[in-house]
Amino acid sequence: MKTEELLINMGPVHPSTHGVLRFKLIMDGEIIKKCDIVMGYLHRGTEKLGEMKTYLQFVPYTDRLDYISAFPNNYAYVKAVEELAGIEVPLRAEYIRVLTLELNRVVNHLVMLGSLLLDLGASTMIMYGFRERENALQLFEMLCGARMTFNYIRPGGVREDLPEGFMPKLNEFIKDMEYRIDDYEQLISGNEIFMMRMKNIGVLSAKEAISYGMTGPSLRGHGVNYDIRKVEPYSVYPDLDFRACVRNECDSFARYMVRIDEMRESLHILRQVVDSMPEGKPTSQAKYGIAPMTGAPTAVSTYFPRIFTPPPGEVYSRIEAPKGELGFYVVSDGTIKPYRIKIRSPSFCNLTAIPKMVEGLMIPDLIAAFGTIDVVLGDVDR
Amino acid sequence: MMFANSYELIVYILNLFGIYEPINNIFKTLGIEYVLRIIIVLVEIAVLFVFALLTIMFLTWMERKVVAMVQARYGPMVTGPRGLLQPVMDGVKLIGKEDIIPAKADRWVFTLAPFLVFIPALLIFIPLPFGESLIISDLNVGLLYIIAISAVSPIAILLAGWASNNKYSLMGAMRAVAQDISYTIPLALSAIAIVLFTGSLSTVDIVSAQSGTWFGFIPKWFIFLQPLGFLLFLIASIAEMGRIPFDFQESEQELVAGFFTEYSGMKFAMFFLAEYAHLFSVSAIVVTLFLGGWSFPFLDLLPAGLVPLVSFGIFLVKTYAIIFFAMWLRDTVPRVRIDQLMNLGWKIMIPLALLNLLATGFLLTAGVF
Amino acid sequence: MAWISKNWTMFGIVKGLIVTMKHILRIGNRPTVTVQYPYQKMKVSPRYRGLHAVDENACIGCGICEVSCPNETIQIVKYKTRWYPQVNVGMCLFCGLCVDACPMNAMKMTGNYELADYTRESLVYGPDRLLFNKEV
Repeated sequence: MKTEELLINMGPVHPSTHGVLRFKLIMDGEIIKKCDIVMGYLHRGTEKLGEMKTYLQFVPYTDRLDYISAFPNNYAYVKAVEELAGIEVPLRAEYIRVLTLELNRVVNHLVMLGSLLLDLGASTMIMYGFRERENALQLFEMLCGARMTFNYIRPGGVREDLPEGFMPKLNEFIKDMEYRIDDYEQLISGNEIFMMRMKNIGVLSAKEAISYGMTGPSLRGHGVNYDIRKVEPYSVYPDLDFRACVRNECDSFARYMVRIDEMRESLHILRQVVDSMPEGKPTSQAKYGIAPMTGAPTAVSTYFPRIFTPPPGEVYSRIEAPKGELGFYVVSDGTIKPYRIKIRSPSFCNLTAIPKMVEGLMIPDLIAAFGTIDVVLGDVDR
Repeated sequence: MMFANSYELIVYILNLFGIYEPINNIFKTLGIEYVLRIIIVLVEIAVLFVFALLTIMFLTWMERKVVAMVQARYGPMVTGPRGLLQPVMDGVKLIGKEDIIPAKADRWVFTLAPFLVFIPALLIFIPLPFGESLIISDLNVGLLYIIAISAVSPIAILLAGWASNNKYSLMGAMRAVAQDISYTIPLALSAIAIVLFTGSLSTVDIVSAQSGTWFGFIPKWFIFLQPLGFLLFLIASIAEMGRIPFDFQESEQELVAGFFTEYSGMKFAMFFLAEYAHLFSVSAIVVTLFLGGWSFPFLDLLPAGLVPLVSFGIFLVKTYAIIFFAMWLRDTVPRVRIDQLMNLGWKIMIPLALLNLLATGFLLTAGVF
Repeated sequence: MAWISKNWTMFGIVKGLIVTMKHILRIGNRPTVTVQYPYQKMKVSPRYRGLHAVDENACIGCGICEVSCPNETIQIVKYKTRWYPQVNVGMCLFCGLCVDACPMNAMKMTGNYELADYTRESLVYGPDRLLFNKEV
C-alpha cells in the first residue's frame, strides 16, 4: 500500500505554542518524522536599538526580552555594564538584587507549570499559579511601581530602597508558597494520567543536550550538574547556602520535577536573604561620569550616574536566569552609547533541541515536551 | 400506590378532579376516543421536553460555577443574580451568529447532523424512572433500548464530519466514532451484569429490586454488590460523552480539529446541548442501575400522595451528585492521549468487564446472593 | 501496560481530587481571590508608575526629561507663557526614567492606569491635562 508523508503546519497562531512560533512537521501517519522550527515573528530589533540608546536608557528594553521574568534580564545587562565600567555596588544593593532574582525565579516556574498543564488539559493549575503570581506581583509593585516591566536594577545599585511593610508581606508570601507547593505536588506529580503523558517522552541523552547548547533547568533534568550560580558565582551567591537541583532520568517528567525542586530552593535562599539583609545605601556612593543627578531632595537615586562613559573594551557576562544561561556581550568604544550589544538568550538555544527530541513522537507528545522546555517568544526573537 | 407509568397517574389525577369521565364521554360520542389518549401523551412529552431543556440550561451554568469554585474565582456573576441568566445570554448570542455553510458541503446532511446528535440524547429520557410512577413508558426492554439509542450517535457524528467537506473534520469524526464504539462495549457489559440480578431489562424492575435494606440501614443498592461494575460503567460513560480526561476532540491544542469546526451559530449550539443532555441522561442511568433510582430506605413511611414528589427530589439529588463528580473530575486531571485511550478501552476495560460478568454469574449460581 | 498494572489503584488521581475538593469547600486558607472589575478595583501602591503629573510651580522647562526618555515621547511645549512637558501616552513605556532625571522633582507618576481612548490624537497629553498645583 502506497503511503506518503504529509506536511502539516502548526502555524504561528495556535492556542498552545507559547507565543508566535511555527512548526513545520513532516508526518508519516501519526508519527512525526522531521520538525522544522520557523521563528522570528516577534523580532523587534532590540540589539540594534541598543546601539542608539545610552547605557541607562537601554534598561527598559531589557525588561521586554523575557517578559515573564524581567529582573534577571535587567540584572544580566547591568552586570555586564558594571564589569565594563568598573562600578562598585554596595552590599545592600546586592542583597536586594538577589531577593528580586529569586522571587522572580519562583514566579517564572509557576507560569511554566500553569501553561504546561493548560496544554495538557487541566485548567486549574494555571489559575492557582496565577493566584500565587498575583501576590508576588503586588510585592513587585510595592517595590518598584510596575508589575511586569520593572526597570529597577540600574548600573550602580537599585533604583530605590525597600518600602515600609515590604518585609512582613514577603515573609507572608514565603510561608504561603511553602504549603501551596505541597498542594501542587499532591495535585499533579502523583497523577497517573500526568505521568502517562510525561514519562519517557522527549528523551535526549546528556551529551546531545549539551551539544545543542541547552542550559538551565532543562539541562539539569538530564543529569548534568551545571548551575552558573555554582560554577561561576556572582553577586552574594558564594555566601548563601543552596544546592543545584539535578534529576537523572532524561525525560519530560524529570525536567518538570527539577522546576518544583528549584522553587523550594529559591524559597530557602529567600529566607536566608531576608534574615541577613545588611543596612546601608541602595545605590553606590562614588560619582562616575558626567551629569550625576544631585539636588533632588527626595533621595531617589541621588548618586546615580545617568550618563557615563565606560572605557573602551568588551565583556561577556552571564547569569543563571530561570530559563537557562542568559548572557550579554557588550562592546564599548568610549562614548556614552554602546557600540554593540549581543544577547545570548536561553530560550533560543533550548528551542533548537526540539527537532531532535520529537522524532518518532506524536503531536500531543510534541506539545508536552515543548511545554517542559519553557520557551518565551520574547526571549527567542528579541 | 404505584402506577405503571405517568399516563395512568395523569388519568388518576383527572379522575380525582372528576373531569376525566365527562371529557372521555364527549370523545366517545364523537367516535374518536383515542384522541384523548394522544392529547394526554403529548402533554407528558411536552413536560418532559421542557424539563430537559431547563435542565440543560441549568447544567451549563452549573458547570461554569463548579469550575470557578475549584479555581478560586467566581464564575458568571453579572448576567442575572449570580449569573443564572448566563445560558439565556449564551443562547441569544449564538442565535445572532451568522449561519455559515461551506460552499462544497452537502447542505441537507450538514443541516441534519446536529439534530441527529441531539434527538437520541432526548429519546433516552423515555424509559427513565424519575420517581415513583413518573415514567413516560415502562418498556419491557428498557435497558436494551437505552444502550441501542446511545449507539445511534456515532452515525450522526460521521454525518457531521463527512458533510463538512474538510479532511480534518473527517479525521476528527472518525476518531470520535472510534472512541464512542470502543467504550460502548464495556458500558454494555457492565450493564448486563446488573440484569443477572434482576432478571428483567425493565428499569422499573431494576429500581424496585433495589428497595429495602440490609441490617436495617444499608440500602440494597447495586453499587455495594458490584463496585467494579460501577467504576467501569462510570469511566466508560465519561469516555463516551467526550469529557476530560477523554476529550481530545475538543482540545484546541491538538492539531486535527474536531468534527464540528465548520459549524457556527445555532447548529454549533446543538452539539453542546446534546452533550449536556447526554450528561444528564447518562448520570440518570448510573443512578437507576447502581444507586437505587428513586428509592430510599424510609420512603414508605410517607403518606402515599407525597411519595411521587419526594422520590423525584431524591432522584434529582442523586443525579446531580454524579454530575458534580463528573465536573469535579474534569477540573482535576489532564487529558489522556488518543492511543493511550484506545489502549485503556480495549486492553483493560473489556477484560475487566468480562471478568466482572463471569464472577457475578459464578457467584449467583453458587447461591451467594 | 506493566506500569498500569502496578498503579492500578489510581491513588494519585484520588489525592488530586482531595486537593480540588479543599478548594471547593474553601478550607485551609484557600479563598476566592478575584476582584469584580469594574465594580471593584484594586488599590495600587504609592510607587505605581501610571499617568504623569507635572508640578506647575516646580517645573522649569529644562528639558532633561525629554533627553532621558528612551522612546522620545516627551516634548517641551509652550503653555501659558512657560514651557512644560507634553507626553505621548500612546508611545510611553512608563519606565520612570523621566521621574528619576528631573532635577526639580516636578515630574511625578500617579496611579491612574485607565487610559484607553478612541483616537491616537487624544492620547497626546498636553500640559493642560498633566499640570497640577500643589498649593491648591
